[in-house]
Amino acid sequence: MRLYDIVVLVTPDLSDEEATKVAGEYKKILTDGGATVLKDEPWGKRRLAFPILRKKEAHYVYWQVDAPPAAVAEAERRMGLSDQVLRHLAVRVDEELKRQAKMTERLKKKAAKRPPRPPAPPAEAAAAVESAPVERSES
Amino acid sequence: MRMGGGSGRSGSRDGKGRDGKGGPRKKFFVRRRKVCKFCAEKLEYIDWKDVKLLQGFIPERGKILPRRISGTCALHQRKLQTAIKRARSIALLPYATD
Repeated sequence: MRLYDIVVLVTPDLSDEEATKVAGEYKKILTDGGATVLKDEPWGKRRLAFPILRKKEAHYVYWQVDAPPAAVAEAERRMGLSDQVLRHLAVRVDEELKRQAKMTERLKKKAAKRPPRPPAPPAEAAAAVESAPVERSES
Repeated sequence: MRMGGGSGRSGSRDGKGRDGKGGPRKKFFVRRRKVCKFCAEKLEYIDWKDVKLLQGFIPERGKILPRRISGTCALHQRKLQTAIKRARSIALLPYATD
């Protein structure tokens, strides 16, 4: 199972419901192939950056799915055959996201480790305010 | 960037240039140091769905902003490039505009 970002552009000739229905067919192919849909976000009708088949807008549908590669390949194949799908794009993202997660984790660790030194200024300043009278009294 | 050429030239004129008229050579522009935006924000993954982010690297003409102008580091420029190309393929960004 791999994580994919999938975007499908459906013809603007269809209404919103019809578009989601068309997109739903492909979603079904994915789920039948053993995929689980993690995110299902219709972006709605968007202007295209350039005309595709003389169309200036399209219904964008975005999913993030955890799917076996075969299911995605099959869905993409069918999308390519369909006249109602202007464009489609499926990108594997699990590795990239993992890397990003690692980065953020490392950053967090660094941030957690740091307090002894760099964040000292605010900490010290705060501590100074609190402990200042005590220290002075001690000295 | 152009250190090589500059230093070579100054090297040939060095003796005279330094002592006498150091004037013209000192007219360096103080360039603002460019920092890779993605390194600064610790963004490892550049999302091709994030049109707003990508649009910042697309000048009017629709081309990809070169590294020498944007200051993006090589690694992130490469990632940015694929992200922009993906966004183009689903018409989120233009291939060309005029």
